[in-house]
Amino acid sequence: MTTLSRRDLVAGAGAAALLGPMPTRAQGANIARIAMAGSIRTLDPTMTSSADEYIYDVLVFNGLVRIKEDMTIAPDLAESWSWDSSLKSCTFKLKPGVKFHNGREMTSADVVATFRRIVDPATGAIARNTFEMIEAIEASDPLTVTFTLKYPYAGFVDILGDRQAKIVPADAIETMATQPIGTGPFRFRSHTPGDRIVLVRHDDYFEKGLPKLAGVELRMMPEMSSRLNALKAGDIDIVWELNPEDIKVLRENPSLRVESVTSASWDTAVMNNTIAPFNDVRVRKAFHLAVDKRDVIDLTLFGEGAPVHSPIAPSSAAFATDLPIAKSDPAAARKLLREAGYPNGVKVPLVIPVGRATRERLGVTLQQLARPGGFDIEIQRVPAARYLAEVSGKAPLYVDGYLARPTLDTATYSFLHSTGVFNNLLWHYNNPEVDKTLEAARRAIDPVQQREHYVQLQRLLYDNPPGFFAYAVNFGCAYRSALKGVTAHPMRWFDLRNASFA
Amino acid sequence: MLVYAARRILGMVVVLFAMSAVVFAAIHLLPGSVAHMVLGEYATADAVAALELKLGLRDPILVQYWRWLSGVLHGEFGQALSIDQPVARLIGGALERSAALGGMSLLLVAIMGIALGIHSAVHRGSLSDRVLTMMQYTLIAIPEFFWCTVAIIVFAVWLGWLPATGYTPLADAGLLQWLRHLILPVICLSLGLTAHVSRMVRSSMLEAIESRYVLAARAKGVPERLVLLRHALPNAMLPAITVLAIDAGILIGGIVVAETVFSFPGLGSLLMYAIQNHDIPLLQAGMLVVTAVYSLATLVADLASAMLNPRIRLGAAH
Repeated sequence: MTTLSRRDLVAGAGAAALLGPMPTRAQGANIARIAMAGSIRTLDPTMTSSADEYIYDVLVFNGLVRIKEDMTIAPDLAESWSWDSSLKSCTFKLKPGVKFHNGREMTSADVVATFRRIVDPATGAIARNTFEMIEAIEASDPLTVTFTLKYPYAGFVDILGDRQAKIVPADAIETMATQPIGTGPFRFRSHTPGDRIVLVRHDDYFEKGLPKLAGVELRMMPEMSSRLNALKAGDIDIVWELNPEDIKVLRENPSLRVESVTSASWDTAVMNNTIAPFNDVRVRKAFHLAVDKRDVIDLTLFGEGAPVHSPIAPSSAAFATDLPIAKSDPAAARKLLREAGYPNGVKVPLVIPVGRATRERLGVTLQQLARPGGFDIEIQRVPAARYLAEVSGKAPLYVDGYLARPTLDTATYSFLHSTGVFNNLLWHYNNPEVDKTLEAARRAIDPVQQREHYVQLQRLLYDNPPGFFAYAVNFGCAYRSALKGVTAHPMRWFDLRNASFA
Repeated sequence: MLVYAARRILGMVVVLFAMSAVVFAAIHLLPGSVAHMVLGEYATADAVAALELKLGLRDPILVQYWRWLSGVLHGEFGQALSIDQPVARLIGGALERSAALGGMSLLLVAIMGIALGIHSAVHRGSLSDRVLTMMQYTLIAIPEFFWCTVAIIVFAVWLGWLPATGYTPLADAGLLQWLRHLILPVICLSLGLTAHVSRMVRSSMLEAIESRYVLAARAKGVPERLVLLRHALPNAMLPAITVLAIDAGILIGGIVVAETVFSFPGLGSLLMYAIQNHDIPLLQAGMLVVTAVYSLATLVADLASAMLNPRIRLGAAH
């Protein structure tokens, strides 16, 4: 007969205590935990530049307006706005009684200071390009701000919902990077680099009764498998930007809720329009004839995406539905290459970023699919950190991707206009007709007229592509089922004001 | 013994000095501009130039190295670039957490490795010895990240007994919560090394058991338990200590892997963060600390071996 010794009993009791049930949600704090792959580099919203940092921006700060999940604009810190007849002056009335996390009331002086800092070249803010049309910012009283623009720009209110356009206190700008102060639903408590950022409820938040959570933790977990295991084990409540290959499997887990929504984020094979062979539009078109975009989506994204002609996603009202998504025609592709002076096809290196699985897969997919069309592609793997210095705007062909922008103008102008900042980091595309169309679209007030300009833009790009717009990638998120009141935002951030645990 | 210890400590200082130069050079060969990483991709050329001047990045590399080294010698590690906090504080916090992970793992490795090694040697050829041998080879052959993943899936995801990731400070959550976060990474880190140590202890113990002095002890009629503990074990422990010290070095590599898989905020995670963010002061200090810990482990092992075996220190003194 087996007998239990006293030592066994003590050991057993110890093990049971350690391995006992996990603390339940009810016992723990009412805190939502979001896992993110990257790290947060700066706490100053004006200086943020990565998708992970934008999640933080939206939780801690407010803009004058906000972009809702349906991509329409709603007032945030602004109560209302009005244009003058020339569309060059826009005046905002601010909500009264909005408090910063330090208890001070937000005024128009803070808005003025925030935007003057964004447009100052010395700041080096990424959003300076977005707001380059601002001529002057003036406050006429504590709750009124007027923006004067260099040219009529109908989409100005929309771009104020962008990620870095967050209002910060004029008297604390210098310390934003370490002691951030916003007006947002959550206030900053601590940052452990490489580990987590802890945010707690802003009790004086201006929307009464919100937020419902006591706090949010942004946990940095570089490994996707760690993030998913933590989610399944209940350590984490939200995993965002799921790999497309994980979406189907996670949907089968009853304790999770999975969303995969069309976003306007896109991946592309960038072709350098100034160097051979892609300085010839026939070669760029031949590539499109060689590769079937639907096959690319199936092979690269496991179907979790949609084909596009430009940065304009199919979810947009301006998407050109009448333009065909070309089926591959290798013979036609080879014919075009012969006409362009490449009778034996082209041999070209394709640079792909190491460690970005989807983009690596896109590169390999393109290499294989383009081969029958006469493209002999040699894959070169380069760390993503070296892209800006060595690859962007320099390599003849490389894979890269871009986040959704808040308006059609911001999504297209700087990427495709010959003077556009991103154009010069990418393909060096120069098409006067595209320039004219983009300029007309940004001045159009009538939505119908504006849509026509953007459809025309897609037609022009179809005939003369700057590179290969591969797809608009879906934004996939998984949540613990207990977390309610949050949906995947196509801009890849989370509005947790209404989130709570059931 | 003192001469030997002095020589070894001097050697360690030389190694640390050489490593600091290698680490410094290697980090400066990393691609990408530091100023761009700090200011963001959209900083103006003027802003980048101003920051490079401020950080002294335009000075010759030897000047930069000397400035950094003299700072370190004065205990001044500077500010992290990516986040405005002193490097020493960041490293200190992370080192404390990693030390808990590494220290507990090493303790487990030492206790389990020595116990299993002695058991196998004493019961050489028995069923338990053969089963242990098979298990040990399996554990040595399969890398940590596999065990980490299996442990998370079984104990965190399926059974829900232990957290899959993260860390709770002892002061915040108490001993129990603190331990809960350490159990899985400690066990996963220890598996392969325990197998390694126990193999070494087994073979050195066997050698001791079969030696003439043990035979002599048995012939004198010393009880078997005492023969093993007093005569065989001290001699068998000598290689075990060396192996433990080597394993302490291997453990540092394992900690980086385990910290990544378990999202444990230790030195490994901090180094990953520093690399991602091109935070040179943080990276340099972190690498130096890792080198120092490794050197210290080797030094302790050498000194312990020398104390146990006079031949080592006497041989070294000649």
